[in-house]
Amino acid sequence: MIDAWIVFLLLLLAPVVSSIPIVLAYKSKEWTEKLPYLSVFGIFISVLMSLYIFFTFPKELPASQFAYPWIPDLGINIVLITDYLARYMGVVTALIAFFIAVYGLDYMKGDYRPSWYWFFFNLFTASMLLVVYSDNLFLLFVGWEGLGAASWGLIGHWFRDDDDIAYVGKAGRKVGPLELSWPPSFGGWRAISTIRFGDVPMFFAIAAIWVLTGNLNISEIDWGSLFMGIGAAGTIILMLCFLMGLFTKSAQVPFSEWLMTAMTGPTTVSALLHSATMVAAGAFVFLKVTWYIEPWHLHGVPGLEVVYTVVLFVGLLSGLYGALAGSGMLERKVLLAASTMSSIGLMFAAGAASFWIHEEIAGINLALLVGFWYMAVHAFAKASLFLVAGHLIHATHSRFCCGGLEFAKRMKTPFIATIIATTFLVGMPPLTAYWVKSAMDEVMELLWHEHHMLIPIILLILTSLIYSAIMARFLSLNFVRGEKPEHEHLEGGGLMKLGYTMMVSVLFILLYLIFTNAETEAFVHAGYASVSFAVGAGALIAYVLAVYVPRLKVFSRVPGTFFNDRMYLPFLNDYIVPKTGFFISRVVQNYGNRGIDGFFNTRVIPGLFGIISRGIRAIQTGYLKSYVKIVLGLVMVFLVIASLWGLGL
Amino acid sequence: MIMLYFLLLPLIAVVIAPFLTPKKATYLSSFVFLLPFFAIIGCLFRGCPEKVSLMSLSAPLGEFYFNFDFISHAFGLTICIVSAMIALFALPYMTHRFEEMERNVDSEFRKYIFLYNLYAASMLWLVYSGNLVLLYVFLELSLITAFLLIYSYGYGNRKWVGLLYFVWCAVAGVLTLAGIVILAFENDSLALDVLMQGGKVSMLAWAFIFFGMIIELPVLGPHVWLPWAHAEAPTPVSALLSPLTVGLAGYVLLRIALIDYSFIETYRMPILCYAIFSSIYAGFSVFKQTDFKRLLAYSTVSQMGYVLVALCLGPFGLIAVVIQYMSHAFGKSILFSSAGGIIAVHHGLRDLTKMGGLHDSIPAISNAAVVGFLNLGGMLTIGMLGEFFILRGAVETFLNPESPAFLGWTGSLPLILAMIFMFMLSVWYGFYTIRKVFYGKPKDTKRLEISSYLYLPLYIIGIVSVLLLFPPLSTALIQGLNSIPGLCLGGVVP
Repeated sequence: MIDAWIVFLLLLLAPVVSSIPIVLAYKSKEWTEKLPYLSVFGIFISVLMSLYIFFTFPKELPASQFAYPWIPDLGINIVLITDYLARYMGVVTALIAFFIAVYGLDYMKGDYRPSWYWFFFNLFTASMLLVVYSDNLFLLFVGWEGLGAASWGLIGHWFRDDDDIAYVGKAGRKVGPLELSWPPSFGGWRAISTIRFGDVPMFFAIAAIWVLTGNLNISEIDWGSLFMGIGAAGTIILMLCFLMGLFTKSAQVPFSEWLMTAMTGPTTVSALLHSATMVAAGAFVFLKVTWYIEPWHLHGVPGLEVVYTVVLFVGLLSGLYGALAGSGMLERKVLLAASTMSSIGLMFAAGAASFWIHEEIAGINLALLVGFWYMAVHAFAKASLFLVAGHLIHATHSRFCCGGLEFAKRMKTPFIATIIATTFLVGMPPLTAYWVKSAMDEVMELLWHEHHMLIPIILLILTSLIYSAIMARFLSLNFVRGEKPEHEHLEGGGLMKLGYTMMVSVLFILLYLIFTNAETEAFVHAGYASVSFAVGAGALIAYVLAVYVPRLKVFSRVPGTFFNDRMYLPFLNDYIVPKTGFFISRVVQNYGNRGIDGFFNTRVIPGLFGIISRGIRAIQTGYLKSYVKIVLGLVMVFLVIASLWGLGL
Repeated sequence: MIMLYFLLLPLIAVVIAPFLTPKKATYLSSFVFLLPFFAIIGCLFRGCPEKVSLMSLSAPLGEFYFNFDFISHAFGLTICIVSAMIALFALPYMTHRFEEMERNVDSEFRKYIFLYNLYAASMLWLVYSGNLVLLYVFLELSLITAFLLIYSYGYGNRKWVGLLYFVWCAVAGVLTLAGIVILAFENDSLALDVLMQGGKVSMLAWAFIFFGMIIELPVLGPHVWLPWAHAEAPTPVSALLSPLTVGLAGYVLLRIALIDYSFIETYRMPILCYAIFSSIYAGFSVFKQTDFKRLLAYSTVSQMGYVLVALCLGPFGLIAVVIQYMSHAFGKSILFSSAGGIIAVHHGLRDLTKMGGLHDSIPAISNAAVVGFLNLGGMLTIGMLGEFFILRGAVETFLNPESPAFLGWTGSLPLILAMIFMFMLSVWYGFYTIRKVFYGKPKDTKRLEISSYLYLPLYIIGIVSVLLLFPPLSTALIQGLNSIPGLCLGGVVP
């Protein structure tokens, strides 16, 4: 067995180190065309290492925890863990990054700054792997910030804002005072500012956990006594601060806007960040933390139920919001982005349901298991769809959905990949996601039967049906019943096809795993329940209907535009918040700074000096008479004081 | 003893560099600051003698000595690396500046490099001086040299700006001196080691030093001199003035706080609220600036608010003062230099309204600026630890039931939210500025050939700032800081 730290170092550093040569060679066109292969090789090493960890590393604590001192006196250490979640998620992350990197070799060919792209792409992969494997909250946060910085770099990759293909929204389309069109450089800034809005509260929560428990390792913290110690108000504030980081990163309502404008980045970026890894990181960390909090044992803790109810409903509402918004959209990538936030919402909801769920399979809470497996299935399916969308954008020079059956005949590989990815994702029996979704139905059903919460299951079913329809809509508008594309550029794209073919084929492996793994047995079992089957059949019907009628004329105007404009959530992000901020800036600058600088600094202080100086100069007249007067006056004052003092006053 | 020689190396450059050609003088200056940098790094790992005595004077002055503790090392290594790198950056920049001013390059460079070395060296000696009088002398020395640099080579109405800077900082210096004098008579010594052992700082002395140093720091109100001085100084001087000099006020306050924390404890709430307000106010000001260097100057005010916030937050806050100083110094020196790079390459371009899309012509400088803003925002650099320690200090102070300032979760919520907002602002204005300056539709996509002096030094600073976050450097540094009495968990500071 290789030393564990060598494996981890290779896993985390290989992508970063292998992307440094292309950065150094940024001036040479010749080298920047060759060196991307090295970067991809770096990610391939990560894949090997993640697989090695998956098959050989210990699974149970304490053997699965690896610690190296960082600032040991203060409890900040490099602690990595190879528990169930990390092992699976590590492989998922590395594999997806690798497939997308292979695809990117083709997709990013001839780009104007390859060094930038590959550096941030690999930095992103390494950061995500760090988030996945780290057990120490500070170390996790280092990876977390790496995700933020790398996503900023990648989303704003086409910083010149000169190509309409990289925009989001229709150029010039105005609603009220807002222009609903966003350039890439704006997408990057929007992403990092929204993420920062959640990161700092999360950082504060980590600092608070550090002080109050004296430990930063997620698996070692005594969560129960932490919550008991700080009471209901403390628990709610602490956990909401922590969750702010997760919700913003995962683009849950109302922080979802950045994900939509993030579609200004290259499609590879959307595939990696905005389907499988970065947005999933929020849900992943939530599952990871919940795994060790074990909230199902902590029903006596005041405030914790509030926290989990909040997550449950934020997740479900984001799920519904994303699905509805997607139903009106015509931009390929934005449609997929909306469906992604919907899926992530369901992951949050499933994870949060663990608070009420006691069923365990192979020692793992059912709700957490469902959340996690849905994440894995969704990651591969959605990443494939994004990659197909990228290929279509290349082939048609349009970011709007277009293409009919004729087009599909000439683009067989993407057509088939889309059919597989969508059908496997929407939960129609008996394909991969169906089993996971069935278990999710079962979880929400348990909430209804045992805890009288009816709304979650209604929201879930509603979301599932609409979600199925929008995925079918994506297929239909691009390959079946869409308009004929204006341009067709079908040559090449071999590596692109290879990328998404590999990606989509993993869905079959996952199906196989669901049927063979011990812990997923419950999924299969749930698949045979009548409710699950009804929901699955509903999804199938919705899918078929939407393929047949992707756009309803009746709805295209009234709810269609409303949904397409994301229910006017951009007003919050593009109008209310910035207007308020700039108003304050203006007040500060025009009144505050001008007042201090222009009045205090250039009038008041010099004026005061002038007065004092004039006063002193006024005495110095040169006439003996006035000096005598001054001296006599001072003598008089002195005499008065002396006599008063003498009198004892 | 050997450490003392390393610290005296810059003195050689002060004397010799003026007699060399600009290029050689630059290399010499850079070298004499790099050597102590590596010596300090060595000290972090192997340790070194705590003090080197210079001379003993009668009471109330006490012993003059060089003090080698981890606080001094942390400040010292920052000053060394920034001074060394900015010296390199200055070579093409100042040559260009002298040509622009239509002066003889060789002869002006002699004067300039003398002042520059003396300026940087005085700051280095300041943080190692073990006596408050010595510290004051070096404080004034750095003030005078910086003043002369602005006065002779600044932009705009440089003479007025130079005087403005000089007068404000002289006032700050005099107030501090008054505080030090009171301190001397109260304790019969100004040697730090004597003061650290049961020295008392009366409220009056504290008040003088505090008000003196918040002018120098500066916070909102007395900050008026700073946007002028930083904007109009020649850029290499801005790149020392803002990162290194102003933060030294934080160093002085930290030293006094370690002697006696009572003043901060008594007035914690007003100082903290003032500092947060000042930081947020300056953060909002950044958005509306139209001059790049002035924008950075306001960001300095905002960052110095962090330092003052940290000062109020107990032992972890005090460690954060040190780390915050370092991360701000790294970030701001990179940023001022990239502003300088734009000035040098784009013929004096400073107006933000005329910028946009500059990344195409100067990618190397643009990317350096990103590293700079990552430092300010505390992302992936040593600044992360700074923010973490400030937040930890806040929790220790207000949420720990054993703390005398305990407020409870609901009671301290407004304060915590304000601090959280304060941290957000720096990333917001940072990336807003990046977008405004470097991204968007380029006017010209031609890549300009620029001197590597203008960007390589910046990356070296950036790499240092990232390395300092990770082991082994952060292990040695933070554990060392944590072992200083008063900073460690069981220290005298509550």
